Amino acid sequence: MSLVSVAKAIAGKKVSSREVTQSCLDRIAQWQPRLNAFMAIEADAALAAADVADASLANGKNLGPLHGVPMAHKDMYYDAGKVVTCGSKIRRDFVPTTTSTALQRLKDAGSVRLGSLQMVEFAFGPSGHNVHYGAVRNPWNVDHITGGSSSGSGSAVAARLTFAALGSDTGGSIRMPAHFCGVTGFKTTVGLISRAGAMPLSQSLDTVGPLAQTVEDCALLVGLMAGADPDDPTTSTRPVPNYMAATNDSVKGLTIGVPTAFYVDDLDPEVARVLDETIATLKNEGAEIVKVELPDQRQLTAACQLVLATEAAAFHKRWMIERPQDYGAQVLMRLQNGLAIPAVSYLEAMRWRGPALAAYLAAVEGTDAVIAPVAPMPAVTIAESDVGNSHDAEAVIQRITRFTRPINYLGLPSLSIPAGFSKKGLPVGMQLIGRSFDEATLVRIGAAFQRATDYHQQVPKLA
Amino acid sequence: MTRPDPKQVKVMTDVAGVPQDSEVAARIAHSIGPAFDGFAPIAGTLPMDIEPATFLLVQNAKVTK
Repeated sequence: MSLVSVAKAIAGKKVSSREVTQSCLDRIAQWQPRLNAFMAIEADAALAAADVADASLANGKNLGPLHGVPMAHKDMYYDAGKVVTCGSKIRRDFVPTTTSTALQRLKDAGSVRLGSLQMVEFAFGPSGHNVHYGAVRNPWNVDHITGGSSSGSGSAVAARLTFAALGSDTGGSIRMPAHFCGVTGFKTTVGLISRAGAMPLSQSLDTVGPLAQTVEDCALLVGLMAGADPDDPTTSTRPVPNYMAATNDSVKGLTIGVPTAFYVDDLDPEVARVLDETIATLKNEGAEIVKVELPDQRQLTAACQLVLATEAAAFHKRWMIERPQDYGAQVLMRLQNGLAIPAVSYLEAMRWRGPALAAYLAAVEGTDAVIAPVAPMPAVTIAESDVGNSHDAEAVIQRITRFTRPINYLGLPSLSIPAGFSKKGLPVGMQLIGRSFDEATLVRIGAAFQRATDYHQQVPKLA
Repeated sequence: MTRPDPKQVKVMTDVAGVPQDSEVAARIAHSIGPAFDGFAPIAGTLPMDIEPATFLLVQNAKVTK
């Protein structure tokens, strides 16, 4: 049952919040020992909150579209009075006094907190490894990675332990676990959703977004969270569209671009096959498919790395001096990279963002979205991706994230949708890349694709 | 724009106030080098009147299909 379906069922009193919450908790108890997806499970508090939601509904008071729906989120969203580890040893006992705007808006809509979800230390890694709390495991095959950094979010949504989860995406951290775990993930336009109270990694690139079963679920959540926030002046003040309305539209009349290079180079054959199948499905649904020649995406990747590394190092400088021993080796290594980037190089990378976005938009003129793989391969094993701080670790990381980082640099929205499976039964996702603040078009395409396919409805079985 | 070598990295980490030994400096130079190489065609070519906020202007420009 999807987030939207269960919310309707609770609102219609066909099922109680307690029943739904207990069902999630039962499933968490069953799966958590295999997946390590949760950082904290708050069973008693969740059931108590569910009872309050049920009592409120019985008295005719519906708090909003998420009334009584149990959810858990990446453990980097501040929730006043609750420990928020950020996946780190350094913040193992950190208790914020404020609640993040994104989380508060979901609470205001009536959601029930199940606990918090595992993540890569300080959201700085694409695999899902965490030396402090252990690797999160992919429910489709627990020997394989979930992707990161929203590792617990991808794993928990895929295993149906939570109806949806917040992730964050600075270099691919929502789309990667969505792709590897077979769920829908929505990286929003930078500036659409407030980052107030969300642990920062890179102030220029950080974005908030959901992982859920369906595009419709993601549309609901993004609509609830988007919009101006006085606590984050970088958030756009433009009106928030009705994303849910876009879920019913067909793709007839839309034009989707397929890159002629970069995103189609050096693909695992199974990813290439799924890309072809996805294009065929969209064409069959009525979209026009055209080739697009994009500007050199490798330069965007490089610029993204310069910006991300510098800003992350600046955020972490104090702890890099005072507590270097408390970082995992790989995260510390990646933070140290930012120390070697001169201010002029960083600012050049920041100054180029506008021209680079303009060049991209000119290249995709005439299209409504671009389709591309999220990663060149399905999930690799935990063992083979456990590169720590070895000499070539950064190269391995950059290979995994090469299709996601250009989009972060351009600040564009990108919707990752489950689009197929490998022969070994591992999910493969595709990303639909849109124009700035045009999430609605991506919702329209993604929802149409999910009406035509059932990849998003496949559920892994506990081995 | 050229990638920094390990000796230059060591100096930069010292200046940044987070000094690193030679081994770490070598690893940083190896890790971050490709980003410098990739950005080299852009570095030093930008017109003067572009600043980071230019991105917001482009992002918010009205576009049509």
